[in-house]
Amino acid sequence: MGLMGLTSGFFIGLMIVAALGSVAATVWLWPRFAGQRPAMMASRLGLIAASQVLVLAAVLAFVNGFFAFFGSWSALFGNGGSVPVTVSGAAASSRPIVVTGSDLGPVPGGSALPEDANGRLASKPPHFKGKTTSPSNVAVAPGLDLKGGAVAAARKVGKVLQITVTGSHTGIVSAADYVYLPPQYFQPAYAHVRFPVVLALTGYPNDTWSIVRWLDLPSSAANLVARGKIGPAVYVMMNVSVALPRDTECTNVPEGPQAETFLAQDVPQAVEHTFRVQAGRSGWSVLGYSTGGYCAAKLAMMYPYQFTSAVSLAGYYTALQDSTTGSLYGGSTAFRDENNLDWRLKHLPAPPVSVLVTSSLVGEHDLAGTQAFLRLVHSPMRGYSLLVKQGGHNYRTWVRQLPQSLEWLNQRLTPAIAPSQQAP
Amino acid sequence: MAVVAVVAAAALAAILWYWPRLAGRGVLPVVARIGALGVLQLSVLGLIFLIVNSSAEFYSSWSDLFGDQSGGGAIVAGQAGTGENAVSSQALAPVTVLAASAVAVPDRPKEAGGQLQTVRLYGQLSGISAAGYVYLPPGYGTRGEAALPVTVVISGDLGSPSNPYSAGALAGAAASQIAAHRLTPMIIVMLPAEVGQHDQGCLNVPGGTQADLFFTQDLPQVIGSAYRATPPATRRWSVVGDSSGGYCALQLAMTSSQTFAVAAVPPGGYTAPPGGAETGGSPQIRAQDDLSWLVKHQPMQPISVLFTGGGTGQPFVTAARPPMHVGQTSLPPGKWQLTRVFDWIGSTLQPPAVRS
Repeated sequence: MGLMGLTSGFFIGLMIVAALGSVAATVWLWPRFAGQRPAMMASRLGLIAASQVLVLAAVLAFVNGFFAFFGSWSALFGNGGSVPVTVSGAAASSRPIVVTGSDLGPVPGGSALPEDANGRLASKPPHFKGKTTSPSNVAVAPGLDLKGGAVAAARKVGKVLQITVTGSHTGIVSAADYVYLPPQYFQPAYAHVRFPVVLALTGYPNDTWSIVRWLDLPSSAANLVARGKIGPAVYVMMNVSVALPRDTECTNVPEGPQAETFLAQDVPQAVEHTFRVQAGRSGWSVLGYSTGGYCAAKLAMMYPYQFTSAVSLAGYYTALQDSTTGSLYGGSTAFRDENNLDWRLKHLPAPPVSVLVTSSLVGEHDLAGTQAFLRLVHSPMRGYSLLVKQGGHNYRTWVRQLPQSLEWLNQRLTPAIAPSQQAP
Repeated sequence: MAVVAVVAAAALAAILWYWPRLAGRGVLPVVARIGALGVLQLSVLGLIFLIVNSSAEFYSSWSDLFGDQSGGGAIVAGQAGTGENAVSSQALAPVTVLAASAVAVPDRPKEAGGQLQTVRLYGQLSGISAAGYVYLPPGYGTRGEAALPVTVVISGDLGSPSNPYSAGALAGAAASQIAAHRLTPMIIVMLPAEVGQHDQGCLNVPGGTQADLFFTQDLPQVIGSAYRATPPATRRWSVVGDSSGGYCALQLAMTSSQTFAVAAVPPGGYTAPPGGAETGGSPQIRAQDDLSWLVKHQPMQPISVLFTGGGTGQPFVTAARPPMHVGQTSLPPGKWQLTRVFDWIGSTLQPPAVRS
């Protein structure tokens, strides 16, 4: 991420200056094109079009930086090599998770400590220069140790780390994802306790930082833990699309990225090997919004021995394919059916998982699809719904639904209990 | 939205038409120009916002956009358990033991051979119920608490006692190796390649048998629920296939190395599943079912594969790179020597991990 990065302040500023400049130039040059000849008319149209396009580009750059749809130029336009179909053996044998940043600014667990767990959040993904390697007191993950002051801070507010995950089976490399370790993770009482994990997935298109910035997941979780509503857990925040700008819909694309295997098997395996977390079903849940909601439900239904439960915030339940996905199913209707959750419930045994689906009675066009999915759920699968009266397909709605969703998840995960807290 | 579109078009036309009137010098015309451009710009941006919002329904109303909505709803349990499918599939036991017999080892006491069970295994996710055999090593019931590694043998002809690779012969070979301390005590699960209606090489057949699901997800759960078996995550699960189960075994190892870390199969090209795959006319899916394509195009899987028997030139031997390891033994063609296979499995399986 350099000076001309898609979300850098310099680039967005430059776009705004160019837009203002074009408007000023139009006003300045106005009198020169005041004639009635067709050539004059064409020149006016050209001037107006140029300023319109530049202003629009500036607005798009600003909005993109604000909402973090695309985090980089390669995410927007692709770089052709982000998801190698073939990787060398050496790459596959390195660490599955590398911590690329531990100093993330004013978030719960960031470096500039907020007054409380609900401190204000950074407006965009911070940039990193490297990781701390100095002598330390606490080993957080292979390659990352915390020093005295940082340990004291982490024990109070936890820690958000930026990570790069390499899939040992799929070869997929996902950079700029995040993991939130709760304060308890660093406290001596919990030194030998393994924590449950919630895998959180973005929508499409999205930068993973959105889960911190807009869904407010670490803050919400910290707040609920502080109020005793839920137990501490590790939150692994991943981009649902493993090959931006392509929308992969967590599908094992024939002859393409094996996104399903990456999210359902590579990521849990990498996290279980790197952090002090529980392994397997009773300790893992998956949550997501929009495309991430579909994927949360799908991963839990396809891998019930990895995930005990799923929360789908405004997800959908059929196998989507459009211009952003390209061919996802190798042209096979049958394979597409297998990725359709309604079809699975009608034609395959129901998996032993619980799924919470959310929607809005007004403002969410997938309401009918959500209710149809819920009607198809049958034992041993369990379906739950959380419907709000009104709310569109946006973070404002999902933030309202999040606390109840986390409490619901908490009831289905094996808690992390410090030995001193255990009943005698 | 239509109103905004009309406003934008009108603003554009008016600017182009009345351009000369605003071309004068002085403060007023300049302000008028900026105002005209501003109106146009706002209406165009407004139009774009409305189009994007209506296609994706980000905001359903003004109150939604400006945040007047608040509060959640109630979490309601669905009607699970009351539908026509309410009969829980858990009603079927994962393992039903139909018969059991001792396995004899020459020149050894009777209990030194272990036990061979005839079983029916039921996979909850796939819904597949398959008849097979489970071999338990000597002292299974009395040995300490250590969980045992698991080998899954996939063969089309386990049942006929005259077959040199029947369940009885497999159990006997394993028992001899274990008694001679050449093989670590292990649980051996023997299943036919054909767990559904047709032999598809243990693939998931869309709309049909989910054999891959059965072998990779149900089976560890089924075996783990009834026997003292180590979970696949310890990388101590292996899979063995004979001429009828070879594609199945290699396919499982190459696409689900999370479950099967070690495989022993006869040599071959493995370009298509037996019985022909259900590719739905998709060349991509056909490519993925071609295991020699997989070894060239997907990342190397952390597996060890042994090709047993005569014949060379498998694409796997030349293409394999770490972390995938390929070995071969040269046996007379057509011969599938159990002793060598078990020797190799015993030497390849990871030793039990020491957990701190």
